[in-house]
Amino acid sequence: MRPRQPRCCSAVALAAVGLLSSGCNAVSSGSALSSVPAPKSNTVFLTTGDAPRPFKTLGFVQIRGYGVQVAGFADVGDADLDKTIKGALANEAAKMGGQAVIHIEFLDENPSTDAERVQAAMQQVQNLAQRKPEVEKKDRYVTVVGEVVQFTE
Amino acid sequence: MRAMLMALALGATMTTGCTMVDKVTLPSVPGGKEVFVTAGDVTEPHEVLGLIQVSRSGPLLFGNIDVVGTDLETGFKKVLLPEVERLGGDGVVRVRYRMTQYTPFARIAGAIFFIFPLPSTVTITGTVVKMKQGLAAPAPAPAVEATPAAAAEPAPTPSAAPTEVKATRATR
Repeated sequence: MRPRQPRCCSAVALAAVGLLSSGCNAVSSGSALSSVPAPKSNTVFLTTGDAPRPFKTLGFVQIRGYGVQVAGFADVGDADLDKTIKGALANEAAKMGGQAVIHIEFLDENPSTDAERVQAAMQQVQNLAQRKPEVEKKDRYVTVVGEVVQFTE
Repeated sequence: MRAMLMALALGATMTTGCTMVDKVTLPSVPGGKEVFVTAGDVTEPHEVLGLIQVSRSGPLLFGNIDVVGTDLETGFKKVLLPEVERLGGDGVVRVRYRMTQYTPFARIAGAIFFIFPLPSTVTITGTVVKMKQGLAAPAPAPAVEATPAAAAEPAPTPSAAPTEVKATRATR
């Protein structure tokens, strides 16, 4: 009689396939910033490049967004490029009286690869299956800096 | 009970996403009276005086008290600008900066475990430039070396603060 394979082996095989089929690249992306020429509106002009018009510098801002990745896939909090750039950074610039933020630099400090996400999700499933009251979570940080300016023309 | 506590902790974590903001107000424009600072470039003719990196490190006592000043405000106004003036520059271009920012949780932990102060650093790098004749500040152009006034009034940095300044000189 053929011995039955333990259930854990199939889970491990499944995880291995999942890890092998997923890439090892970590990708963080955000939506488009402002286009040139800047539309005439009250929104703050945001760019990673130079200002489209003559300007004077008002100051500099650094934002660090914190969030948590739960079970590999659910991202909660402010560790998000759009939230930090279009939210916090634009708001701070407006408070300073700025019309634009130029030379924006951003860094997702610890993005997860697909393999890490799958692994965390699998671990969460395993925790639930074993009725372990543990949640797979990972602290996430996004840092953004920019120069707040006011157009002079 | 344990599961309930875990759920509560998870809920608290999920609802307390936060953003740390630090800024410095530094109104400036190339060719003005004050030393200008920009993360970009200047198109007007200028002489490159050198590269500069300034950094200041210190502890955050009780997770919050920044005794030596390791924020952008101090880094720019009390460390970078005096150093640029000392070098005889009119401004700094292609500025890059980074400072330590702790989450409120880390700061609370720092307050609880106050015997372990949180390390904090601000670092600023850039290229010191001097505008060519006619575009520089109207005041007499300072010599390349520190002027007597600058020498008499060194940067207002506390002597205890481990401030590092690295500068190289080059002329283009």
